[in-house]
Amino acid sequence: MAGDADRKPVLSKKIDKFFTGLASAFSFVKRFFREVFVPPYELKEVVHQCYRIGVESLPLISLTGFIVGIVFTNQSRPSLSEFGATSWLPSLISIAVVRAMGPLVTALIAAGKMGSSIGAEIGSMKVTEQIDAMEVSATNPFKFLVVTRVLATTFMIPVLVMYTDFVALMGSFLSVNANEMVSMTTFFVQVFESISFLDIISSVLKSLLFGFTIGIVGCYKGYNSSKGTEGVGRAANSAVVMAMFLIFIEELLVLQIVNAIRMM
Amino acid sequence: MRGENKRNVLVGIFVFIGIAILVAGILTLGGQQKKFVKAIHLKAVFDDIGGLQSGNNVWFSGVKIGTVRKINFYGDSQVEIEMNVEEEVVEFIRKDSKATISSDGLIGNKIIVIYGGTTMAPPVEDGDRLESVMPLDTDKMMETLQENNENLVEITNDLKKLTSKLAAGEGIVGAVLTDSTLAESFKSIIGNLNRASVNSNKMLTDLNTFTAKLNQEGNLFNDLVTDTTMATELRETMGSLKATAANSEEMTEELKAITDKFNSKDNSIGVLLNDEEFAKNLKQTMINTDSATYNLNRGLEALEYTWPFKKGFKRKAKAEEEAKNN
Repeated sequence: MAGDADRKPVLSKKIDKFFTGLASAFSFVKRFFREVFVPPYELKEVVHQCYRIGVESLPLISLTGFIVGIVFTNQSRPSLSEFGATSWLPSLISIAVVRAMGPLVTALIAAGKMGSSIGAEIGSMKVTEQIDAMEVSATNPFKFLVVTRVLATTFMIPVLVMYTDFVALMGSFLSVNANEMVSMTTFFVQVFESISFLDIISSVLKSLLFGFTIGIVGCYKGYNSSKGTEGVGRAANSAVVMAMFLIFIEELLVLQIVNAIRMM
Repeated sequence: MRGENKRNVLVGIFVFIGIAILVAGILTLGGQQKKFVKAIHLKAVFDDIGGLQSGNNVWFSGVKIGTVRKINFYGDSQVEIEMNVEEEVVEFIRKDSKATISSDGLIGNKIIVIYGGTTMAPPVEDGDRLESVMPLDTDKMMETLQENNENLVEITNDLKKLTSKLAAGEGIVGAVLTDSTLAESFKSIIGNLNRASVNSNKMLTDLNTFTAKLNQEGNLFNDLVTDTTMATELRETMGSLKATAANSEEMTEELKAITDKFNSKDNSIGVLLNDEEFAKNLKQTMINTDSATYNLNRGLEALEYTWPFKKGFKRKAKAEEEAKNN
């Protein structure tokens, strides 16, 4: 270890650290894809993590989605009413919710709740050497801890996004119904008139990517934590920050790709 | 173990509902956007599609019946639109229907509108090309509007000059507006005009009454205008008058010839009228005749009292007496 510290940096200490971290993250992801298809599959643990990530997050996600629907509708109304176009509210909300806000809000809430939880949990297991103990007891800790959680986040986030979309649209409907006296049928006809299959497919694929990101970042940060309890806190914090940052980058990239497909 | 089972069930329900929402959304979207209905392809070629995109709606009689499937360049610079149209409405769209590009609301999405078509033409079939009608070009509309604006500016400038001249009392109208004497005169003229108009109105009323009378049936003028028999008779009368006039002319000429002869002394009447010497002789003759007649009358009276005429005269007087008594 002393030799590593004394080694002369290739570019600079910080740049070297960044690229080393990138290579480490890449090998972590590569290991995940290598492990995920190899039995045993730890289905019980996957379901357990699905319960924690999906079912237990539902109340928070639903409430957030509902509030987002109402707030976004109420904030958009004045701008549209200037053009006498408040009848476009359902279309506007549906595009905003299905294309961007549903997946984004769900992923950000999940990154805050689950990313930190996963990072802290695996980080504490790492610093208390529980992971080492698992290896000693012939249990693959990567498969049991990382693969199960990443699978759970990858598949639960799209389901949560569906709930968020539905609840946000219901919240928007309440606001539109109260102010514009629009019936539920008319509201949902307008909602589905302005979105396409591409919007739904891109929303689902984007959610899968966000879920994978939240799980893999949380696990990576926790799995590579060090320096005792301080390291656990740092792992939890950096898991949330990094996951959120990557979610926004992915959102931007997916948007460009989807727009390119839409233009074809 | 029981807790774990409960957890599994909850995860199952959670995932099931999530997927149900997704499936319901996809089905609703597909149903509303007619993705799962049988459709035929119709085409139309436009010079300019004004930003129409694939997926935009196709309307017929105000009802959404399909979507734009594909947009391709065609010919030199034209654009061919391929549309998906529901099979169940095909029977209402005729081969002579037209397609145009419109907008879903004032600032809404572009749409294809199919309209027209007569029952004489058969329904459209898969792959048919509809006649396209170019929509109103907003750029051209704006150009016209700009031209109108420029004209409006010129008009307002002229109006400004005019009103400033009026305010300054220039010109006849300006003088009328500013000069009180002229205004009074103008007022008087208007009063006269008013009276004149009242009179002319009255005159028109009278004229109206008069023409109404003329138009009454049985009236000569009405008959003249309306009675066709009378017109024929009148025409005949005119013909007769014409003939009479010709005769009169002939007669006048003959009379003239006669009077010419009367004025000359080479005939007996001319001599009688014009020869003074003959007149004197005739006068003398008349005097002589008068004298002879007087003498004859005296002789005849004497004859009444002579034999053998005396007896006859007595018999005649007696017969006259008897006739008077009867």
